[in-house]
Amino acid sequence: MARRCRLRSNLAGVVCAVTLLQAGCSRPVASSAFVAIEHEISPEPVRVGSATIILKLSDASGKPITGAHAAIETDMSHAGMSPGFAEAKEAEAGHYRALLQFPMAGDWVILLHVTLPGGTKLERQIDVKGVQPE
Amino acid sequence: MNPSSIPVLDTPESLPFDLMRVPGLGQLFRWRYVRPLLQAPLLVLSVVMILHGLFGPTLAPKNLATTLSWLHFRGILVLVLLCAGNFFCLACPFMLVRQAARRFLKPQFTWPRPLRNKWLSVGLFVLILFTYELFDLWSSPWWTAWLIVAYFLSVLVVDGFFKHASFCKFVCPIGQFNFVASVLSPFEVKVREQDVCTRCHTKDCIRGRRESISDLVTIRGCELALFQPSKVGNMDCTFCLDCVHACPHDNIGIMSRLPASELMVDPLRSGIGYFSRRKDIAALAIVFTFGALLNAFGMVSPVYAVETWLGKILHVSREAPVLGLIFTFFLIVEPVLLLGLAAWLTRAWARSPRALLPLAVRYSYGLVPLGFGMWLAHYCFHFLTGLYTLIPVTQNAIASLGWPFLGEPRWTLTGLPANVVQVIEIGFLVLGFAGSLLVIYGLAEDDSPEKPLRAFLPWAAVCLVLWCASLWLMFQPMEMRVMLMSG
Repeated sequence: MARRCRLRSNLAGVVCAVTLLQAGCSRPVASSAFVAIEHEISPEPVRVGSATIILKLSDASGKPITGAHAAIETDMSHAGMSPGFAEAKEAEAGHYRALLQFPMAGDWVILLHVTLPGGTKLERQIDVKGVQPE
Repeated sequence: MNPSSIPVLDTPESLPFDLMRVPGLGQLFRWRYVRPLLQAPLLVLSVVMILHGLFGPTLAPKNLATTLSWLHFRGILVLVLLCAGNFFCLACPFMLVRQAARRFLKPQFTWPRPLRNKWLSVGLFVLILFTYELFDLWSSPWWTAWLIVAYFLSVLVVDGFFKHASFCKFVCPIGQFNFVASVLSPFEVKVREQDVCTRCHTKDCIRGRRESISDLVTIRGCELALFQPSKVGNMDCTFCLDCVHACPHDNIGIMSRLPASELMVDPLRSGIGYFSRRKDIAALAIVFTFGALLNAFGMVSPVYAVETWLGKILHVSREAPVLGLIFTFFLIVEPVLLLGLAAWLTRAWARSPRALLPLAVRYSYGLVPLGFGMWLAHYCFHFLTGLYTLIPVTQNAIASLGWPFLGEPRWTLTGLPANVVQVIEIGFLVLGFAGSLLVIYGLAEDDSPEKPLRAFLPWAAVCLVLWCASLWLMFQPMEMRVMLMSG
C-alpha cells in the first residue's frame, strides 16, 4: 500500500515537473490580432546568396505602422548552421526592408522579432522552402 | 591472408597494448559498476533530449534533441569507433533502463531460432535510413524525441520477453552499425593468454560466475554468446566487460590490434561462425557501405533533381514511393550489379573455385573500410562544422527555464570552417579506400594464392567506383530540404 502511494506521488511529481518545464519552455508572444505583417522576398525563388525582404506592417484599419523595430533572424531547418541576423530599416511609411543572406541551398526559416512603437512585441515565423543552389 | 604468413615476434615490443594495464583506467574497467557509471550520464542526457524535443523549440537548430542526436552523437560515435572501439555500446543508456526493468520482469523466452541472424536488424537499419529521409528527422525535434522514446520502448519489450541480450545481438540498428564499424577499431576485448583459458574449468566468461551454494549467477557471462577463448574480432561485442568481471583469472584485456585485420582471416568465430558463410552479416556489410553513400546522397542537391525526375516519369506526387525506388536501386540493384560482376570476373580471371554468391559474400567484407570512411566523412562534416552550436542551444534551453545563468545564447558560435573540414573528410575517404584495398588484397591472396592480382582487380575496381562516387558526393553543394513532395 505504502509502495503504491509512493508510486503515485512519484508519478504526480513527474507530471508536475513536465508541466512546469512545458510552461517554462513556451515563450509569451504578444497578441497580434490587430497588426498585419505582410512580406515579400526577392528574388523569387530565393537562390543561395543574398535576398531582400520587405515587411509591410499595418494596423486593423489598414493604416501603416511607422517607427517599429524589426529584427530578423534566418535559420536553416536543420541543426549545425549559424543563424543570420539583420535589422530591417523603414524605407517608407510602414515598409521595412532588410538584406538577408542564404549561404546554403535548402529550407530556411525567417524569424521576425518586431517591436511596435508602444513597446508591444510580436514574433512571426516565415518558411522559405527550397532555396535554390547558385 | 594466410595467418601462417603473418610474422610472429616474441619481443616485448610486439605484445599488444592493453588498456586494462593503464593505471587508473584498468581499475575503472575492472570495477563492477563501471557500466552504470558511464550509462547514467547518457540516460540523463537522453531524458533531457526527449523533454526538449517534445516541449522545447520546434526549430531544429535551437533544440537539444536534434542538435545532440544529428550533430554531436553521430560524430563522437564514429570518432570513438575509429580511435578506440565500441565504447558507445558499453555506455548505452537503453541497457541501463533494461537492467532496471529486469529487476521486476524476468524474461521467459529465448529468441526464436529463425530470427537468430542479422536479417531483421538489416531490415531495421534500412528502415531507420528510410524514415530519416522520408520524415526529415534531422529537422524535427518532435520526431527525434519520439524516435528515442521508441528505442527505449523497443528495448524494454524485446528484452522484457526474451533472455540474454537479444535486442543488442538481433535487433538494435545502432548496435549493428557499431559492430560493423568496430571491426576497424584499434582495440578489442580479448584473452591475454590462451593457455590460462585452456586450463580454466569454470568458463565463467560465458556461463557467468555463480554462488557456490545456491548456484545463482552473481556476475553475468557474455550475453551475446561470445566465448572469449574462441572469440575473434569485434563483431557482436558490446564492450560490456561482463567477461572481464566474470573471469576468475583476470585474463581478459582490451587489447590493441591492427584495425580491419579480422576481415582478412576467416576462422570459426565464437557466436558467429564463419564470416564467409554468413550471408546476413555480408548483407549488413553491404547495407553499411552502400547506405553510407545513400545517406550522404540524401543531403546534396542532385537528390532533389532525381526525385523530381522520377516523380514526373512515374506520375507520382508522393515522396515515399520515389524514395523507395531510390533505396531499392542503391541498396539492392547497384550492389547486385557491382558485386555480381566483380564475382563473375574473379571466377573467370583468377579461376576461383568458389561459386558467385560465396565469392560476393567473402569479398563484400572488404568494402567495409570504404563505407566507414564515408560515414566518418559525412558525420564528421556535420559534427565539426556545427561543433560549438551545442553552447548556444544549451544556453537557450536553460534560459527558457528561467535560469539565464549561462548568459545570452551566442548563436554566432558554429564550428570549424567548411574548407578545413573538407580536408579532413578527404583524409577519411582516402583512409577508407586504402583500407578496403588492403583487405581485398589480403582476401585475394588467400583465395587465389597463385593469381592474387587477378582476383584483386575486379574488387579494386568496385572500390574505385564507390570511392569516386564518395568524392563526387563530398564536393556537391549541400541542400537540406524538409519535403519535396507531398509526404
